[in-house]
Amino acid sequence: MLETVVEFLNGAQGRDFFRFLKVAFLAFFTVAALAVLFAPRARPGRVSYGLLRVIVTAALAAVLAYQATWQLAGFVKPDFVRFMRRYNKRPRAAETQVMRGPILDRRGLVLAAPVPGDVWGRRYPLGESAVHPVGYFHSRFGITAVERVCDPELSGYPAETKEDFPGKNLFAVRAAEGAAVTLTLDAGLQAKAYELLEGRKGAVVVMKPRSGALLALVSSPGFDPLNPQSAVEDDENSPVFNRAVQGRYPPGSTFKILIAGMALEKGLSPVYACPGMGYIAGPNTPPIRDSEYYAYARNGAVWPGWGRLGLEEALVHSSNVYFAQLGVGCGTPAFNRVMARARINEALVYLEAASGKLKTACGHAPEVARKRKLALLAIGQGEVLVTPLHVACFTAAVAAGGEMARPRLRADEPVEKLGMLFMPGTAKQLGEMLRKAVRSGTGRAANVPGLEVCGKTGTAQAPGGDDHAWFTCFAPQRRPGIVVTVLVERGGFGAKAALPVARALLEEADRLGYVRQTGEELK
Amino acid sequence: MSRQSSSLTPVGAAAGLFLISVLAVSCACLSVLGVKLSNAPVVPWEQLIPLGVYAAGVPFVLVWLKLIGWRGDAGVVGAVFLLCGMGLVVQFRMGSFAQGLAAPLALVPLPLGLAAFAFGASLTSKGRGAWLTGAGWLAYLAALAALAALLVLGRRYRGGMYTAGNMNPSEVVKPLLVFFLAVYLSRRQKAFSETQAGMPVPPFGTLLGLVFLWGGPMLLTIALKDLGLMVLLNAILIVMLFAIARSTGYLAIGLAAVAAAGFGVRFISAHAQARFDVWLDPFADPTGKGWQILQALSAMYSGGLWGAGLGAGVPQTVPIVTSDFVYAALAEEIGLVGCGLLLMVYAALFSRGFRAAGAARTPFERLLCVGLTGSLAVQTLLNVAGVTKALPLTGITLPLISHGGSSLVTTLFMAGLIAGLSDRK
Repeated sequence: MLETVVEFLNGAQGRDFFRFLKVAFLAFFTVAALAVLFAPRARPGRVSYGLLRVIVTAALAAVLAYQATWQLAGFVKPDFVRFMRRYNKRPRAAETQVMRGPILDRRGLVLAAPVPGDVWGRRYPLGESAVHPVGYFHSRFGITAVERVCDPELSGYPAETKEDFPGKNLFAVRAAEGAAVTLTLDAGLQAKAYELLEGRKGAVVVMKPRSGALLALVSSPGFDPLNPQSAVEDDENSPVFNRAVQGRYPPGSTFKILIAGMALEKGLSPVYACPGMGYIAGPNTPPIRDSEYYAYARNGAVWPGWGRLGLEEALVHSSNVYFAQLGVGCGTPAFNRVMARARINEALVYLEAASGKLKTACGHAPEVARKRKLALLAIGQGEVLVTPLHVACFTAAVAAGGEMARPRLRADEPVEKLGMLFMPGTAKQLGEMLRKAVRSGTGRAANVPGLEVCGKTGTAQAPGGDDHAWFTCFAPQRRPGIVVTVLVERGGFGAKAALPVARALLEEADRLGYVRQTGEELK
Repeated sequence: MSRQSSSLTPVGAAAGLFLISVLAVSCACLSVLGVKLSNAPVVPWEQLIPLGVYAAGVPFVLVWLKLIGWRGDAGVVGAVFLLCGMGLVVQFRMGSFAQGLAAPLALVPLPLGLAAFAFGASLTSKGRGAWLTGAGWLAYLAALAALAALLVLGRRYRGGMYTAGNMNPSEVVKPLLVFFLAVYLSRRQKAFSETQAGMPVPPFGTLLGLVFLWGGPMLLTIALKDLGLMVLLNAILIVMLFAIARSTGYLAIGLAAVAAAGFGVRFISAHAQARFDVWLDPFADPTGKGWQILQALSAMYSGGLWGAGLGAGVPQTVPIVTSDFVYAALAEEIGLVGCGLLLMVYAALFSRGFRAAGAARTPFERLLCVGLTGSLAVQTLLNVAGVTKALPLTGITLPLISHGGSSLVTTLFMAGLIAGLSDRK
């Protein structure tokens, strides 16, 4: 019995039935409204509130007229038309539904795919590990990241222009099917990187140094893209926050790569005395010390200091005392120049589509630096802040012979160069130093046999808790194929918390064939 | 018209109006039910309980009105129950009763509201309400207590404060303060009526007293950050001052105050500032702050002139559509035509309320009726204007249609009082 009813309702006659009900409802509603309007009235009293009645009625009529400018004439408002074309979910519904295109990784593996028959359904095989770069497409929480900026193509609209007004037939001009969007990500690396962070707060960036292609862009903790509710409400861990591109952290010793390059460009390679008591940049400033000072002090011993250090030794041992002096020695103009070339104060765009961009947060390096400020900035402390993606980019520039490439998330975007960060000779020298830092210095644990890893640890002090742990590296030293940057928030020592993640990723990337290059670098 | 139908008793006329309303509501309900059935072949019997209570309960109210010899304005009663029925259909359509008997608390407000309506009508009809004037100060203190309790016990949810079960006790503040103002102002009619050159100039002492008394609830609403309630209460005050003094000066002052407050509040509250900015330019942040209002407007656009048909639209894409944004759901499914009819019913209700106020015998009754009607009218205007982006959003619900138990009971009680006041004999 019920089946018959359901069948009837879903059939052609059902449509007539609903149309009949619609007409009948409006007819009865009209009669009811008119009856209320003309029902017998009470006799007018001594006082008349005609003015109030007129005001209320006129105000309601005015609101209705204003409503009509949206409801009937909304198509004349360009912003509104653009909004509806992108975000009105109705044309996605019912008969007009267009199958939303998938998002794929560089090998064609699915990162996001439609669910047949479900307008808002979406399948995310990588789940929480890729939610930050891929985004979500949710009926209640909206659209984010790649799902958002690539929405016109994914949902079957041609590229939009401002003059594009199809009038009432707003939704008529669409392709039969949404286009696929292919990213530079490698699903395997992305998942592995997320897994290696083990739920700690942090970020991982894996990219190709010359093309800027992002192989992994991970922020942890992640969240289920199908159910962002709890993530949105979690103020303590803020999983929605993309730490890899939006998180701004003091770079700590990873910044010494830039400072060393700056000195080399100036033709400086000084030898400084690095006493155990540290370096005092000016009156009333606390001394800048090497981390060994604190390690010795904890054991009741006194750190004798590195003695006289050259640039290479200082970078290998990550001596704060040396780099503070080097920063002061190079001076403000040189510092500002290298900050400008590294684009520290700019946002890096890593995906540009017709309907929007994805970009990092702006880093921060103060423009004018006095001597004692400069000492702190030179060791990546003080006011300087960068995003993990930015650290990966300047590491990539060193790997790529000094030229910085724009990071890219979309496979079909052309390679774009952001100019020379260092001269090729400088980059080569830096590469040798970073190789030594892994062979015999702070990054020893990352020395994967046969990979010639070059890298730099970082342990950045930040107010309100433990240090942030950094490790940024590339491999191999000659013809580098890959850059890996790891940040673990409040992770403590870079060599302890961040380095093992990078090492495991280098091994995984090597297994996948990204590190040792056989021919031309893959896009 | 009134002379033609002199043979018809008010209760009879109200019953006739209710009968037509039931026909309209039934068509709407059938349409919604049909869509639900075509999606899932299960008759949602439990979800139909509120509509059953409506169809069976309203006749009891009408019988009660007959028993107490009520001879008021049938249009008021007809409008209230037509709107109430539409509200139930929309809530049924949006799945507000989806939990059925598993959440019995959700089923209580309607019968309670119908009883409150009958009680309200008995309280004030035929001038019975005169003795109530003794309780003016009690109402004032009760309003303060309700707000204070909310401040202490409430928890924040979507920027509003609620207590257990998401009941909002600030609902009762409206009728309590209207009642208090009716008592307070009607005793000072002369003082507040003094004018000079068209502008009201009440004696300084009288004015100071009112400012002092009004400061209490105002400070509490500020502490609660309930901007909507604050706007509503001040609008009620202005309407009632106008009603007692019958000086358009108060309306002018009120408009000026609204404009000044609208401008000034941006510098005080970040919340208000955000709402103001969204109103000015929702496209500045379309996927964030502007998302809700733009989804609501998109719903309206897709509804067009005739609407998608009840149950056939996709209004669930608008965040919190069942409460503040229920008008957007209606606009999508019954179209601009249906919205026009709906607003016409509201206008008829308010117009009749103000007319009944004019016909009331005592200043107290007159003020009470103006205040109650004005309260519902301002609420309706603020809600509908907010959802259509004619004004900034204030977080105020649509009387009789928005989802919310405390709101439904309070509104039906207020409507009952108006219905009672329309019978002055």
